[in-house]
Amino acid sequence: MDAFQYIGKSVVKVDGREKVSGAALFTEDIEFGSDLLYAEVVEGSHAHAMINSIDISEAMKVPEVLSIVTGKDFPYNFGLYMNDRYIFAQDRIRFFGEQIAVVIARTPQAAKKAAQLVRVNYTPLPKVLNPLDAIAAGAEIIHPDLGQYAHVPWFFPEAGTNIAHHRKIRKGEVDKGFEDADYILEDTYEVPRYSHCAIEYHAAVAKYDHSGRLTVWASSQSPNTQRNLFAKALAPLGIRHNDIRVIAPHVGGGFGSKAGVTMEIMAAAIAIKVQGHPVKIMWNREREFYNTYQRLGVVAKLKIGVKKDGTITALKHDLYWDAGAYVEYAANVVNAVGLSAIGPYNIRNVSIDSYCIYTNLPPGGPYRGFGYSEFLFGLESHITRIASHLGIDAVEMRKKNMIKEGDLTAYGAHMNPNGLSEAITKVAKEIQWNKKDRSSDPNLAVGKGFALFWKAPAMPPNASSSCFLKFNEDASINLLVSGVDIGQGFLTVMAQIAAEILTVPTSKIRTENPDTDRNPYEWQTVASHVTWGCGNAVRNAAIDARDQIFSLVSRSKFLPIEDLFLEDEKVKCKTQPSFELRLRDFIIQGIQMGDGTFRGGPIIGRGIFMPEFTSTNADPDTSQGGHPNVHYTVGAAAVTIQIDKQTGRMNILKVVEAVDVGKAINPDLIKGQIIGGLLQGISTVLYEEMKFDHRGKMLNPNFTDYKIPTALDIPDEIVPIIIEVNQPDGPFGARGMGEHPMIPVAPMIANAIEDALGIRIKSMPITAEKLCLEILKTNPKTPQ
Amino acid sequence: MAIPYEFAYEKPQNLEMAVKLLGKYGKKARLLAGGTDLANQMKQGFRVPGIIIDIKGIHEMEEIKMDGNELHIGSLATFNDLLSSRLIKENVNILHEAAGLVASNGVRNRATMVGNICSAVACMDSATPLMVHEAVIHTLSTRGGNSYRIQDWFVDNRKTAIQDDEIVTHVSIPLPAARYAGAYQKLMRYSGEDLSQANVSVLMLGEKQFSVAFGSVGPIPKRSLKIEHLLNEEGISEGSISRAKNMIDSVIAPITDVRATKEYRMHMSKVMFERALLAARERYNKPRVFFK
Repeated sequence: MDAFQYIGKSVVKVDGREKVSGAALFTEDIEFGSDLLYAEVVEGSHAHAMINSIDISEAMKVPEVLSIVTGKDFPYNFGLYMNDRYIFAQDRIRFFGEQIAVVIARTPQAAKKAAQLVRVNYTPLPKVLNPLDAIAAGAEIIHPDLGQYAHVPWFFPEAGTNIAHHRKIRKGEVDKGFEDADYILEDTYEVPRYSHCAIEYHAAVAKYDHSGRLTVWASSQSPNTQRNLFAKALAPLGIRHNDIRVIAPHVGGGFGSKAGVTMEIMAAAIAIKVQGHPVKIMWNREREFYNTYQRLGVVAKLKIGVKKDGTITALKHDLYWDAGAYVEYAANVVNAVGLSAIGPYNIRNVSIDSYCIYTNLPPGGPYRGFGYSEFLFGLESHITRIASHLGIDAVEMRKKNMIKEGDLTAYGAHMNPNGLSEAITKVAKEIQWNKKDRSSDPNLAVGKGFALFWKAPAMPPNASSSCFLKFNEDASINLLVSGVDIGQGFLTVMAQIAAEILTVPTSKIRTENPDTDRNPYEWQTVASHVTWGCGNAVRNAAIDARDQIFSLVSRSKFLPIEDLFLEDEKVKCKTQPSFELRLRDFIIQGIQMGDGTFRGGPIIGRGIFMPEFTSTNADPDTSQGGHPNVHYTVGAAAVTIQIDKQTGRMNILKVVEAVDVGKAINPDLIKGQIIGGLLQGISTVLYEEMKFDHRGKMLNPNFTDYKIPTALDIPDEIVPIIIEVNQPDGPFGARGMGEHPMIPVAPMIANAIEDALGIRIKSMPITAEKLCLEILKTNPKTPQ
Repeated sequence: MAIPYEFAYEKPQNLEMAVKLLGKYGKKARLLAGGTDLANQMKQGFRVPGIIIDIKGIHEMEEIKMDGNELHIGSLATFNDLLSSRLIKENVNILHEAAGLVASNGVRNRATMVGNICSAVACMDSATPLMVHEAVIHTLSTRGGNSYRIQDWFVDNRKTAIQDDEIVTHVSIPLPAARYAGAYQKLMRYSGEDLSQANVSVLMLGEKQFSVAFGSVGPIPKRSLKIEHLLNEEGISEGSISRAKNMIDSVIAPITDVRATKEYRMHMSKVMFERALLAARERYNKPRVFFK
């Protein structure tokens, strides 16, 4: 029994009616009138080449073409954490499909036609298509200027190599840890690249008006960060932050792909060339695949030592990341994993080397899970394999080694309160871990798999959030925040937090996607941090408004502040039960005194939040000494799968997942995240597979040949379990959980496959074809 | 996505006008029925027709009907028309089964079966059901009517025997007088819409009479008289299935591409052949199910 009125309730989404009715406008829906111009990108057709010349003469002859913009027009670099990216290719291109120029025309047809007529003369360079080749002796250097790029202080680029960053952890005595081990398992796991596949394409419209105002409408998770990066990149043109306005309409899915800045910067830049006209750049599905961000690929070499009783004595984890042609965002994925690649375990002796490696493939970047799915594939496979070898139950092995509150992380900080133990117990019970399922059909094999997960938000130590809370005459509220609702329910949760404190129902709180002119600062909607970070800002704004209300009522009604409280949109007094004052009667107009004068004025709450305990100051050789992460969200998951031994097809009979969310502000939305995350995870294991040819060109940038699940591919049964061990510094105890549900899926399924067939798959994806060919290899006599 | 070039467009209201237009423009023209292939090809620039002849207004070509002991499927019949047709379900269940696995519901609402065999892409679903049923393709041109046996229709990947001035009016399927049942198996990467990586149609016409065809495992669909002969000699037994499966190695020639390896296609063609054969027998031995 809690006393909450709005927290913990599955309040209907505040933007639901707008989206269901079709009232919601997405970037592509907005009308810009007949002045609107269209841009088409000219793409490079080599993975690595010097650009000798760009001939636009034929293209400029196409009627209705106004301008063609190339790298010469914008010789600027930019980036979120490292300035290694260019608005347009300068002297060279570094991945197949990179933008070289943009044609601006009055119609999309003319722009496209002209783009096909731009002639680019190249000198091809040797290309590097995988990370191990890129760090081999004599490898072609992709960024000769690496040493000159500005970057955040917690990156350690190695100039003259393809290593853009190297995160190193040394804790305890690793060699001794392995010496003490009774058993050591060492193996290599490979996880390829993946694409986010948000259904809405990237889209950006920009207008540079004759007063020098630059407005950008973009499908974005990060309007403030975009404004910041636009302003920094375009500063040589005299553009300041307050000249730029970024408006984020509704977003049709992000999953990380619309964080930071990718194609939007082209819109911002080229608008300056056609002053007075709005100009639109729309991505198509192909470019969604090869010119936004991709999830990084990784080759992970993992070594774990254990005692006979299952106690882990040491871990060595070397991760070689295929980060792509530009790593301005990707390098922080590598960094985050470097810090956390011990998984949710208490391990005394740790060595981690996480290498961010340039390759001539599309830029890597943020993707739901931020590297954790990738390293957990190996780690959680390893734990189960070790348990099997020792004859210990895989769940018991995890319980024995799991991290507890107060234990030290790999970088020496203390673990936050968490419900990992409860999650393990509940998942094991729900999946009936101790019961072995069998099929009566000899062609079908059934197996169960278990995996743990953890993830911390990966943010700069000063990532902050803020909120304006404006009351209206009828005591309805406009809640201004700059997080973005990308489907996760962020706006609803913010409304619930304000509603709880101010006793105004969520139906009277309007929370909308941001506009940087109107809404206050938010770093980005990433890292599963907005419920926690922005939620704290909203809580602070609501408390600020409440304090103003109580102060006003106290001084005008002569009641002690400490006796006042809010209930049903009224101010009441503990000591005077007959007293009540409706918010709507004074919230804007003030309170009239006996002499006819008024006290008060519009109530406007203001809230900010920045974690003040985080720091990236640490020894670069050990990573000890700082406090880079705010906290971890943990959980457990398990699956029962049925495998057709003739075809390799896997049918997921049941999947269970428990996440410790601290406090479930909206349980239905959390269940939605768990189900959606599991599906996305399952998809990366069973179906999705990026294929590149020898030139580095992606072969399947479409849904014909890059498969994401349909309604027909949903598991037979999904059981989401919510665990609530409060996060002390979270709003009402909440912590983030948006990315987490997909993280444990790959090892969980790999573990289930081994349970069913005795076959261990160490590379993703695990398609039916791959499994079938493995079955045939292992047992050629399997009936065909 | 914009189509960055100009083309002419005509929408004839009857077959005669369509035939005349096609006679006039020949190779320069493309017929538009469902358009699910054509529109994509034009957007991607694979095909740049000078004129589109939109035949969607020729309603007589929408029909699915019995014509004596032949089933007549008009060129404008979509896959969802096939799916909702009692005639198809009762008489050529194998085609019904294949139609249900074509793409997604939205595409099935537009895409036509005849368009599928005219595009003649190796991954098409309709070919093997029509092959085991020995369907006939009927065309019309200013030179008059013409017909092709299905086994003569497919020439190469994306290439059929049709002449530039011919328009397919319908496909006819002769219905056997005696009991028969068939089954279709398709290799897909998941349960959602997918292009066939391999498919098999088996038609059982008697205890020792079979028709078998393999799709997506070569440039054109392949009926195997060799396997049929074996089954027609021996009927269905563990031994005959095993021997027939071994024959498949020499019957089909799958390739490795972005969708599947040749090894998996070969293996799955064998698995699916067996499953289709057993499913066809089960249906053959069961009384037929009719719509109420």
